[in-house]
Amino acid sequence: MNIDTTFWFFDRIKEDNLCLLYNGDFSDEITNKLIELSEYNITNNIETLSKMKKKASFLMAECFQNIVRHGESIDGKANASANEGFFLTKNWQDTYYITSGNLIENNKIEDLERQLKKVNSLDRDELKILYRKVLENDMISDKGGAGLGLIEMARKSGQKLEYVFNDYDDKFALFYNQIVLKSNFEEKSSKEDNLFEINEAINYHKEMIAKDILVIHKGDFSQDAIFPVLKIIEENLQKEKKDAVSKKKIFHILVELLQNISKHCHMEGNKKEGIFLIGRSDNYFTINTGNLIKNKDVKGLEKQLNYISNLNGKELKELYLSKLRERNIPNNEGAGIGLIDIARRLISPLNYSIQKLDDEKSFLSFNVIA
Amino acid sequence: MLATLEFIETRDTPEVLFDKKNNQFKIAGNSLPEDSTKFYYPILDWIQEYVKDPNKSTHLICNMEYFNSSSAKMIYQIFIELEKIKDTGKDIKISWYYESEDKLIEEKGLEYQSILDIPFEMIKTK
Repeated sequence: MNIDTTFWFFDRIKEDNLCLLYNGDFSDEITNKLIELSEYNITNNIETLSKMKKKASFLMAECFQNIVRHGESIDGKANASANEGFFLTKNWQDTYYITSGNLIENNKIEDLERQLKKVNSLDRDELKILYRKVLENDMISDKGGAGLGLIEMARKSGQKLEYVFNDYDDKFALFYNQIVLKSNFEEKSSKEDNLFEINEAINYHKEMIAKDILVIHKGDFSQDAIFPVLKIIEENLQKEKKDAVSKKKIFHILVELLQNISKHCHMEGNKKEGIFLIGRSDNYFTINTGNLIKNKDVKGLEKQLNYISNLNGKELKELYLSKLRERNIPNNEGAGIGLIDIARRLISPLNYSIQKLDDEKSFLSFNVIA
Repeated sequence: MLATLEFIETRDTPEVLFDKKNNQFKIAGNSLPEDSTKFYYPILDWIQEYVKDPNKSTHLICNMEYFNSSSAKMIYQIFIELEKIKDTGKDIKISWYYESEDKLIEEKGLEYQSILDIPFEMIKTK
């Protein structure tokens, strides 16, 4: 991914209160953090949605279990990212979308599709009857039955399950399913309510695979929201078997960049909003961030960033040490010591761009490789 | 006697012990609060009192796992406050622990060592 990737995604999801995309390994540690992160955003940002918190978490857990249970891992496949899972959670207005994707063997498609059709053909009462029947008879994957998970997803969401099977190769297909959750359970869904199509989610996944992106998060960047993100990345670094030195370095860069957004972003309402992406490139990690800034701040910031990005390692160290000795309050220093310290640890100069959006604000993005 | 200052480690703030009576001084763990001043100002206030009448010998143990750049500034403030002990003719020493694999913490320690004017020893743990 390059610096323009940030705005490509931001522009598509900017109306969302939360959008979390994940394309990677699904361990318990990671799924727990993904749920924690979504829960945090539900509780704190959307009052009308907070009562859906339990339901949303339940459905997310159900999706993850599907990925873990049914996601196929193919030994020796070069393209590791497609062997893992895809997960999206998105809140737009009063609607929650949960999309997941995983590989499934081609010869299992027929049975799964039959189950999905069955579940989608039933109304609420019929689903309840089927649920009890499956529970009692323990016929989870029996012909004519349907998986408990699918039944539960349909029951809890009160909506039809959307799904797509995409070709992958001779042996496998990519199976996507999307659950739409509305804060008003009883409300009949009208067409315009359901603006986010499952195909759009699939496009995001394709883009993530093509650019080797692991996580994209658009939402709140206050401290409580940052921690689950850091944990998800730490777990992935663990899996990548990166050496301790790189792990710490990437962790440090992440903390500084995410806290930088939190400290300096232009607030819309009372939310500290931004977007953050992490991906792989060769043996390195690429981290992109983006957030809104006020146009009146652009000139000063540009000057500082331009200055920092033109310094060599030795000059950056000297600047860092002089900032360390300055007796001022750390939070009022603008693009300061944090960015300088990041710039020291990159394999190439600090890459940034500022793009004017309207008369009031601009979009600031960083692209760093470490 | 100055009351003991003690904080238990949290998710984003370190374990802190400044105990004049038992002559124990320690800071350890993670430090990455968004607003580091809120956490560190009470510690700096305590040290400012302490340096007026320090113990005969003060030895601060730093065993940091990770700290962000705004904490780096506040930790430096702690060190330069402690540096004032030197003027009272009493002893002050800082020990900076780091794991051999941890280049970030090692580098941060060496940087502090290079800009401070008091004994600052680097101790490799494993």
